[in-house]
Amino acid sequence: MDDKYKFIDFLGLRFNVANDLSVLVSAVLVFILVFALSRKVTMRPGKAQNVLEWMIDFTNGIVKSAMPDGSGKQFNLYAFVLFLFIFVSNQLGLFFQLKIGGFTYVKSPTSNPLITMGLATVSLLLSHYYAVKKFGFGGYLSNYARPVKFLLPINLLEEFTNFLTLSLRLYGNIFAGEVLLALIGTVAKSVGAVTFIGAMPLAMIWQGFSVFIGAIQAYVFTTLSMVYISRKMEQE
Amino acid sequence: MAGLLVLGAGQVALGDMLFILISFIILALLVKHFAWGPVTKMMDARSEKITGDLDYADQERTRAKKLAEEREDALKNSRAEAVEIVNKAKESGETQKKSIVSDAHSEAEELRQRAKSDVAKAKQDALSGAQNDIANLSLEIASKVISKELNADDQKSLIDSYIKELTVNETK
Repeated sequence: MDDKYKFIDFLGLRFNVANDLSVLVSAVLVFILVFALSRKVTMRPGKAQNVLEWMIDFTNGIVKSAMPDGSGKQFNLYAFVLFLFIFVSNQLGLFFQLKIGGFTYVKSPTSNPLITMGLATVSLLLSHYYAVKKFGFGGYLSNYARPVKFLLPINLLEEFTNFLTLSLRLYGNIFAGEVLLALIGTVAKSVGAVTFIGAMPLAMIWQGFSVFIGAIQAYVFTTLSMVYISRKMEQE
Repeated sequence: MAGLLVLGAGQVALGDMLFILISFIILALLVKHFAWGPVTKMMDARSEKITGDLDYADQERTRAKKLAEEREDALKNSRAEAVEIVNKAKESGETQKKSIVSDAHSEAEELRQRAKSDVAKAKQDALSGAQNDIANLSLEIASKVISKELNADDQKSLIDSYIKELTVNETK
């Protein structure tokens, strides 16, 4: 929307303070959550350990559904951290937005395309790295001309579309959610008490729906990351 | 917002991508060290333990079944054994009873024989003792009668009667 951001230029790179602070807050929240849940690790799990193990099983299930032959074990940790980080990032802006002097400082980091592109870059780099590791660089390159040679341009194009769809899907969903929430906010403030009361259930419904969308998008992003990695690691 | 998407526009905060890359890697490392490592290790250990316990339970079940069979066999055997023992005891009791009774019989017979011979001997002793007494008595009587008045006829009949009685006693 019409948010203003503070920028910092450092070593020739431009940093958006809102994005970086939000990423930091999300990462710290994820770490605190996981750290708090894993304090007493025992053979007979307590409540906290059960929750953590349930989450681990959930993300392990995502990896296993993409790579059923057990070759995906090395990606279990990645899927776990990715899912938790995106999930927390998606919810962050719904509960906690910090604006000081017209400048936004904390919001959902995933409502910015650069952040989602950063995450997609991590996933796709991993897929390329493991493909080269498995087939060698020659094998990795020849995989672009499979199953038949004339598919080479389409396969090359697919790399870019994968990157764009993966990152922009997440960005679009979360950004739209925040836009609509802001719109409902302006509606609430537009006339007075009447619109304020009228907009309140709308805002509540949309916030609930945004929580749902955030969870779904985290799941989709993790699943697709694993699918891309698994497709890179098999020869057609 | 559209300006953010156009790369090379000079305004793009590309530093954000670097920032999220680094912070994501650090987050992953921290999560691995503090939570993922210990929890997955424990999960693996648990699944291993469950497999082991299931195997152990199977083993124990088969062993228990075998033991139960063995015990049942032993029970059956012991019943037969008990019957045998009782029979043997009965038999030995019977033979013992018989031997005791026969021993008692023979002992009683022996006692009776001994008593009989004792009685016979005592009677013999008494008889011979009585004969002597009678002889002495007759001599005393004779001397007393003789010292009073003695006629030949009386004396003769007296002696005859004595002798007669003696011979009767003797032959008896």
